[in-house]
Amino acid sequence: MKKTCSRYRSEDISRFVDNELSQARYHELAKHLRDCPDCRSLVEKYKNLTVMFNDHAGHTGLKIDPAALKQNLVITTQSSPKKILGNIYLKLASIAAILIISLFWFQGGMFRSTGPSAIVTSVDTDFSSVMIIETQKKKHTIIWFSET
Amino acid sequence: MVRFIKIILFFLSIACFFSQPALAKTKILTHVKVIHASTGPRYVDPGLKKIIPELKSVFKYTSYRLLKDQRLDQHFHQKDRVNLPGKRTLIIMPSDMEGKRIRYQITIKKNKRSVFQTRVLLKNNSSITIGGPQFNDGVLLFNISGSAK
Repeated sequence: MKKTCSRYRSEDISRFVDNELSQARYHELAKHLRDCPDCRSLVEKYKNLTVMFNDHAGHTGLKIDPAALKQNLVITTQSSPKKILGNIYLKLASIAAILIISLFWFQGGMFRSTGPSAIVTSVDTDFSSVMIIETQKKKHTIIWFSET
Repeated sequence: MVRFIKIILFFLSIACFFSQPALAKTKILTHVKVIHASTGPRYVDPGLKKIIPELKSVFKYTSYRLLKDQRLDQHFHQKDRVNLPGKRTLIIMPSDMEGKRIRYQITIKKNKRSVFQTRVLLKNNSSITIGGPQFNDGVLLFNISGSAK
């Protein structure tokens, strides 16, 4: 602890201000204060601090209102289930979306190839006239042959 | 967050498990529609509504009548016959799958003589139309669709 002078520590001064010293010691320090400006100055500082603390401790702004606190707690508790449900719905929706996309992917329902409906790999006929047609809209394959 | 990822992975593995049979399809449902197309009075058979816009975009015919509608439950390498008008026969056989396409061997016979033969890779759940044989002032069209099960 910081010393104010060679005789008394700041702790002694603090206890003096708070009137926590023994009577003999109190009078001894009071006598010393008349001759020691450093200790006197420290006493003044501690006294000011004590006054400031007492003033602010009594301020209403720092007081906690138990009724308001309880009401806030009730509101928070009531809104929590909704938040939890919201999270569950979000998770379920995500799972459902993933499932649907996966099933479509595996069943080939999504990203279908845009090729013709049929790929003709070979044609064998006695007739020379054979045509392979692909419609524009749905790429439907038509094989046309003439028997004549 | 780790728990959430675990849940997603769990559902993904379930999805993979259930989709597995879709990748190993062994049965083929073949659907053959025999159509008579002509330049007679305007008519479109109600059973042909899906395919008609495609045919009309290519052909000049005004009348499309459904003469025969046959469904065949086939295995790979199973040959099936469909009797066609004018002493004709359609022989159809799915042989295997190549990706998402079914490989078909299709033969048309007239008076027991092969007049047309083709091999096609038909997109799953899609169709092909083969046409040309003359019949009753019009032509015959064979719309063949296939879907793997």
